[in-house]
Amino acid sequence: MSVPGRRVLLALLCLPGLLLVEVLPCLAITTTTLQLGTLQGDGWHAEDLQLQLNLLDDSHAGILLQARKARLPEPLGELTDLQLECASADLTAVRLECPDGVLQLQSDQYGKQQIQARFGYRFKDKQLTFNLAGIHLLEGRLALRGELAAGKWQLDVEADRLSLPQLSTRLVTAGLALPQLEGGGELALTAHLQGRAAALEQAGFRLHLRADSFTDAAGSLAGEELDVTVTGDAHAAAGGWRVNLEASAGRGRLYVEPLFIEVPEQAIQASARLDYQVDSRQLILHSLEYRHPGSVVLAANGRIDLGSGPLLRDLQVELQEGRFAALYGTYLRPWFAGTMIGDLDTAGGLTGELHWQAGELGRVKLDLADLSLQDREGRFDLTGLSGRLRWSAGGTTEVSDLHWQGGSVYRVELGRADLRVETTGSKARLVEPARIQVLDGELQLDTFNLDIGDAAALRWQVDGILTPVSMRQLSLALGWPEFAGKLSGVIPAVRYDDGHLSVGGVLLVRVFDGVITLNDVSLERPFGVIPRLQLDARIKNIDLESLTGTFSFGRIEGRLDGRIDDLAMESWRPVAFDAVIATPAGDRSRHRISQRAVENISSIGGGGVGGVLSRSFLRFFKDFPYDRLGISCRLENGICEMGGVAPAPEVGGYYLVKGRLLPHLDVIGYADRVDWESLVAQITAVIKQQTAVSE
Amino acid sequence: MKILRIPVAMALLAFVAACVTINVYFPAEAAEKAADRIIRDVYGEPAQQPAPAEPQSLNRYLTAPSASPVLALLDWLVSPAHAGADISVNTPAIRQLEAAMEKRHQQLAKYYTDGAVGMTQDGLITIRDQKLVALQDRNTVKSLVASENRDRDALYAEIAKANSHPEWEADIREIFARRWVDNAPSGWWYQTGQGGWKQK
Repeated sequence: MSVPGRRVLLALLCLPGLLLVEVLPCLAITTTTLQLGTLQGDGWHAEDLQLQLNLLDDSHAGILLQARKARLPEPLGELTDLQLECASADLTAVRLECPDGVLQLQSDQYGKQQIQARFGYRFKDKQLTFNLAGIHLLEGRLALRGELAAGKWQLDVEADRLSLPQLSTRLVTAGLALPQLEGGGELALTAHLQGRAAALEQAGFRLHLRADSFTDAAGSLAGEELDVTVTGDAHAAAGGWRVNLEASAGRGRLYVEPLFIEVPEQAIQASARLDYQVDSRQLILHSLEYRHPGSVVLAANGRIDLGSGPLLRDLQVELQEGRFAALYGTYLRPWFAGTMIGDLDTAGGLTGELHWQAGELGRVKLDLADLSLQDREGRFDLTGLSGRLRWSAGGTTEVSDLHWQGGSVYRVELGRADLRVETTGSKARLVEPARIQVLDGELQLDTFNLDIGDAAALRWQVDGILTPVSMRQLSLALGWPEFAGKLSGVIPAVRYDDGHLSVGGVLLVRVFDGVITLNDVSLERPFGVIPRLQLDARIKNIDLESLTGTFSFGRIEGRLDGRIDDLAMESWRPVAFDAVIATPAGDRSRHRISQRAVENISSIGGGGVGGVLSRSFLRFFKDFPYDRLGISCRLENGICEMGGVAPAPEVGGYYLVKGRLLPHLDVIGYADRVDWESLVAQITAVIKQQTAVSE
Repeated sequence: MKILRIPVAMALLAFVAACVTINVYFPAEAAEKAADRIIRDVYGEPAQQPAPAEPQSLNRYLTAPSASPVLALLDWLVSPAHAGADISVNTPAIRQLEAAMEKRHQQLAKYYTDGAVGMTQDGLITIRDQKLVALQDRNTVKSLVASENRDRDALYAEIAKANSHPEWEADIREIFARRWVDNAPSGWWYQTGQGGWKQK
């Protein structure tokens, strides 16, 4: 019991008790008034004390005890106009018994009180009993029943309908670091205290809180429709206390920033068995159990230091049952608002152990059972994630096994994977090579190294091989126009350092009988608001016949080479590049372009042949020979600066197709600055139209 | 000969210097228009006619050099797409951010109206009084506010970057901070210079 608690008890006992003991020898006179002046003791004093005794008959007396002012230990404080009146007390040689006394007083803290006071005193063994009922306290009622004999005492407390906001105000005023609450809420308390002299030896209590709605000023602690019961007992033990506590929340909603807990159909329960050592301010937790039905069952034991050392001196927490959806939604998610893992749909189960030592997390054992994590923004998901995570602080090496059934990153589907990872302190590495299916290909990871280092920057490095992935599936997944071909590559070093991912080595796209190589691929903040991809590409020996066949663009025969420098994509859309694709110099393949292809090119590039073909004799030719064809585009700020294979200064344009022999046909572009978005829209429209026609 | 060369060199120098100078002028008026367009899209409804922009914002950026003949020459040399008086907000990233904010606004609007969420002076939003939010929605609102601010920060940086002037970010943020408030319907709360709150 706290120090103020003991003082209350003392104060209550000393009022009727001490005074009666002193004055009883004067009982021989019919009516006696004694002016006692000022009396004081340890922590209390009373001024202008006056006792009036009125002997009614042999065995009855009227008693009136008055004091103008009294100061008692807190929380009683200063009382004025005290009066204890007993109209007819049984008074014999054995005992004094007042069955219907009235105690009146005025307090600056508790207002004017009129209390039914029943008390008795046995002279032989100096046993005092009292029963005070109808005390107004915090808008509620308080009753006290006590007994004191031979230095031993006990006290029963019964309080009902105490106002929670008023109580918080009273406690804050008393200097306790507790939130000041507003709103409504009622407390009922029953307690039984036992002790000897000024010392409390054991206590038991039951506290019942019912609150429709309360909140602190900032709204960071709030409850609604709460029904909480706390029972407990405490026994004095060597150097401190042995305490048992049990709490149960039957219904309601509680917000303790940032956690929001809604009591499910079954009550949330917690229980603890602990020792508190007063001198060292240590809490020895023999057992703690927390049970949130449908969400989590936790057990813990250890030592908590409320003194100067680290709080979690030694704490072992066992997650006996964790339903991940509820565990994440209630207890984890609020801490990650606005981060990559702050908005997930989850399922599955999690159990394990966490161990803190000297304030630091020292060991983690987690067992994952069929977890699924799905980013609500659609950036990634993993399903069927199972396995065991093991980690220890310091130099101890632990091995974790993780596997998942499937998943995706930006809608690029991943297949199942098994990973065996070794951790040592802040470092982790892949013990054996792993394979992850990516669309219809496979990413083979030979090495993987991760370093969390100082929590600020996450670093990892991967070496691997990407076996051919169909570009068609990849482009569909990323929302690009459909590309053909296969993407593959040896990726000797993929590095991730503080949000920046760079791919060493070369990625290869084999497509249309040619090769596109991707160099210097890097990705900025892959899961950030705007992922930014950069690369350079070289295009070699693309077969135009299969390209145009795929895109239904009108048949062209020949080969293409090209380059795309400084390609920058934001959210997987190009924002800048410098690209040229054209017939390779010295190309010896057959160069023919169909009438439809010519018309399509013209309709896109603002070229000069438009309807000419269909109106002139050229319409009789299905295709035309050409010398070279090509296009260049430098994209910046949404504007594409266009060019062709050669300038056509005589007409102020550039050659997109430069004709050869007869029937001679040149396609000339005039637009040198084209809005990229409209260009893409036009191309897409032409392809769609052609596809519709060819279908 | 020598005497003649110096004025020519100086004229060239002046020209070059002017070239450099004109690029750093922040096109406040254009930025304001662009901000208004984005903000109205995000707010999703034709909000009330915004208060006219304060004239000082223009004067601050366009000072004496605008009157110099060099500027006229440059206007003619530089094609409209690159002229300093324009501001581009048409990039995939900006459109993506705008779309995300527009979608999120449908959830946030209620909290602006209730006064639970208010606009800050640095072009972001914050929880003004979480007691106005139901207990079970407090974390959702927190998460909405965090995501919105993440997107707004990105938006200001993206606009600056899209215009090849990353250093404009602070100016853009300042303009947005004002325009978010100016375009907001009455009843919404915003932070004042003294850190207090004021209701529109």
